[in-house]
Amino acid sequence: MMQTYHQIARGDTLLAVDHVSLSFGGVKAITDVSFDIRKGEIRAIIGPNGAGKTSMLNVINGFYHPQKGQITFKGLTRSRMRPSVAASQGIARTFQNVALFKGMSTLDNIMAGRTLKMHRNFFWQCLRHGPAMDEEIKHREFVEDIIDFLEIQAIRKVPVGKLPYGLQKRVELGRALAMEPDLLLLDEPMAGMNLEEKEDMSRFIVDVNQQYGTTIALIEHDMGVVMDLSDRVVVLEYGHKLADGTPDDVKANEDVIKAYLGVAH
Amino acid sequence: MFYRETGQFKTNYADDMALLPILQDRIGLGIILFVAYVIIPFFGNDFLLSTVMIPFLVFSLAAIGLNILTGFTGLISLGTGAFMGVGAYACYKVSSTFPDLNILFCIVFSGVFSALVGVLFGLPSLRIKGFYLAVATLAAQFFLQWCFVRIPWLYNYNVSGAIEVSQRSIFGVIVTGAKATPESRYIVMLVLVTLMTWVAANVLSGRIGRAFMAVRDMDIAAELMGIDLLKTKLLAFAFSSFYAGVAGAAMMFIWVGGGEANDSFNINQSFLILFMVIIGGLGSLLGAFLGAAFISSLPTILKFGLPAIGIPLAGATAEHLTYILVGGLILFFLIVEPHGLARLWQIGKQKLRMWPFPY
Amino acid sequence: MDILFKILIDPFLQMGSAPDLLVQTIWEGFVTGVLYALIALGFVLIFKASGVFNFAQGIMVVFAGLTLVGLYEMGLPAPIALIVTLLVMYVLAVTIERVVLRPLVNQPDIILFMATFGITYFLIGLGEFIFGGNPKQMISEQLYLPKGSLEFKMLGGFVQLQKIDIAAAVIAMIMIIALALFFQYTRIGRALRAVADSHKAALSVGISLNQIWVIVWFAAGIVALVTGIMWGARSDVSFGLQVIALKALPVLILGGFTSVPGAIIGGLIIGIGEKLGEFYWGPLVGGGIESWLAYCIALFFLLFRPQGLFGDKIIERI
Repeated sequence: MMQTYHQIARGDTLLAVDHVSLSFGGVKAITDVSFDIRKGEIRAIIGPNGAGKTSMLNVINGFYHPQKGQITFKGLTRSRMRPSVAASQGIARTFQNVALFKGMSTLDNIMAGRTLKMHRNFFWQCLRHGPAMDEEIKHREFVEDIIDFLEIQAIRKVPVGKLPYGLQKRVELGRALAMEPDLLLLDEPMAGMNLEEKEDMSRFIVDVNQQYGTTIALIEHDMGVVMDLSDRVVVLEYGHKLADGTPDDVKANEDVIKAYLGVAH
Repeated sequence: MFYRETGQFKTNYADDMALLPILQDRIGLGIILFVAYVIIPFFGNDFLLSTVMIPFLVFSLAAIGLNILTGFTGLISLGTGAFMGVGAYACYKVSSTFPDLNILFCIVFSGVFSALVGVLFGLPSLRIKGFYLAVATLAAQFFLQWCFVRIPWLYNYNVSGAIEVSQRSIFGVIVTGAKATPESRYIVMLVLVTLMTWVAANVLSGRIGRAFMAVRDMDIAAELMGIDLLKTKLLAFAFSSFYAGVAGAAMMFIWVGGGEANDSFNINQSFLILFMVIIGGLGSLLGAFLGAAFISSLPTILKFGLPAIGIPLAGATAEHLTYILVGGLILFFLIVEPHGLARLWQIGKQKLRMWPFPY
Repeated sequence: MDILFKILIDPFLQMGSAPDLLVQTIWEGFVTGVLYALIALGFVLIFKASGVFNFAQGIMVVFAGLTLVGLYEMGLPAPIALIVTLLVMYVLAVTIERVVLRPLVNQPDIILFMATFGITYFLIGLGEFIFGGNPKQMISEQLYLPKGSLEFKMLGGFVQLQKIDIAAAVIAMIMIIALALFFQYTRIGRALRAVADSHKAALSVGISLNQIWVIVWFAAGIVALVTGIMWGARSDVSFGLQVIALKALPVLILGGFTSVPGAIIGGLIIGIGEKLGEFYWGPLVGGGIESWLAYCIALFFLLFRPQGLFGDKIIERI
């Protein structure tokens, strides 16, 4: 059988994590974790600090290579892959500590997200006329749509290093969206935000999911947000999977209550 | 009041993405080009042209090259001098092997060779970062310098061991060799710099430029967005070394008119160009010009300026004082404005925008 | 085949046929390596405490040596000249901290790196301005450094050891041990290690960064002075040495910027490696490979360990 990526219908498994273990030297970050993400859903990954959530995302987009287990994305199974390949296959992400290109403007940051879609060669780039400029304008239009969607028109040409934290998170979401991903990984998109910013961000996440049909995997500590937004939740603790299911299932799970939400709930 | 983008609305993206979207900037550039192409060659004397302007232009080219690598891609290189040398020797070999080739073509084509060498020495950049990489590029500097001396084939087995520039002309005008006039050499150099600056500005404001800056600002995030780090870094090395190579070839053929590598392409040259880039401003093409103007004119100013204001200088003392002054000025500029002269210009523009109000 | 033989086999045959020569070459490399290690050591001290890539360390070596000799020539007795030179190095440390480091605090690394270039140029100019640009003889006798050489009969030949080289190795060792003890067991040493770990955390517990920087730059100055004396005694004192001082850089990337043992081992690897390379493989390509061999050795090691021999393994986080 040919090893290729398949078109996945809504509701089918888009990504499957299969018995993945990851360790750094002697430190075990993830032990034998399996779960899946279905196309079109919002999937939350929760757990206390150090549970291995971010490591899990890093494994999914190829930044860390697990010692055991494998990942199946769009029907293709692999145990190692390079991050740039993951990106070209449609996995985009945001980062726990904002990882924007600080010296570049908002516009350039989001345009950088279009890199994979731009193909004009070096010669045209040197001239910056003709095909290169056409391409640039075409993608600029796409990027302007994202800027409108995220309501960041006013900061289009401001270097992102000068923006407040909440806006930086928004620009980062924009940059990920510019990649038109099949799977969007959000690592604590609301950390350090005030209530209003959280509400804005939640709205953007739901809109992205519903308007563009983007599948989202989300790490978040705010339980209210997680339970409201997500379709299904997987709970990690000390690198092990503790529970997996709908928000209501997880809330009712004895282990989760004991380990994470606290007994007096 | 005079400098303001207010009211200059753009109705399409092409206008908004132009290299200089603000009208006043375009006028300013026009004036500079007019002065450079018309006023200076007609009214400048030989001293101005050959001692001030030509070196300035050569160094600008080299500084643009290094700025692409260090300022835009964040890779520090201490080997610029050697890459310039590769360009000079390549140009010498090409022009002496094919005597009928247009010399301007030889100069530009020699950049291709130094780009290739640049890629070779850029390979470790994937695994080595920051200052470790800077020291690694010293390997290029010393190894290539050694090649320039030890491989006689490079200088056509000349007894002097140096590059000997023969007389060449373009459209009947002599541009290299002893008989070339400063005016013709200056114009050739100016055309070269204008074109190559335009190309650099184009590339840096497009997809490739964004990839460079993305790698500079946050390489991991860039990789996770599908930017191939190795390719991007090697491209930066190639692009940058191309400029350095052309600068080196131009230096030998248009400015100095022949000479030995160890004098012209040694480690001090590499440092000097790094100074230009830092003092001018990292990640700014304008900065490359400002830095080149400052550093390349400094020795001349000290040499002729200090006696003029009554400080007599004997040979050796002058040299020592120059060192002290250069060192002191570098420190001074770094402390006053660590982001370089280009940033001062930005601040100045901001002030002009508000003028006559303080804020 | 012939060329392969010359590269891969012949040098080792030469080594086997004249083992005394091999020992001699290794010894020479060892002593050079010790001196490289000393320059690298001063560098590591500064890099650890202030994160500054101090390009001027090599120049500080020459400057210190030149000051010592220059003062002696001006008529000061050797011991007093030594003390005055120490004072000069202290003043230099204070000045650098006040004039350069303090205004540039929190700037990107490359800016501080360039600032040390400025210091380099300034010191070259100043040194030559005051003491003249001609090479000077180190005042070895006045400092009671040994002269002459020892010859050992061994391996069917002679191995000659310069007494000054032995002294250099011994003094270097004593100094390294003294520094290690100082940083391990004194209050200032503990503060310094705290600063090396985290500037902010150190500040928050009341350690004065400025004071630490002065101490570290002064310590690096002392190391530079000792290096300058040893080096000067082997050749002579002039700023021509600055190119050799650049050799400390491959030592650094080999050993890791923050590791004192790394600086020592790295220095020895580079020193011995380049002497062997020059002696046995150099003639194949016309000699003079000493100028770049060190960098290539370092580069080779770096490709396998990008963090240097003794640096911690980098786990990239995001």
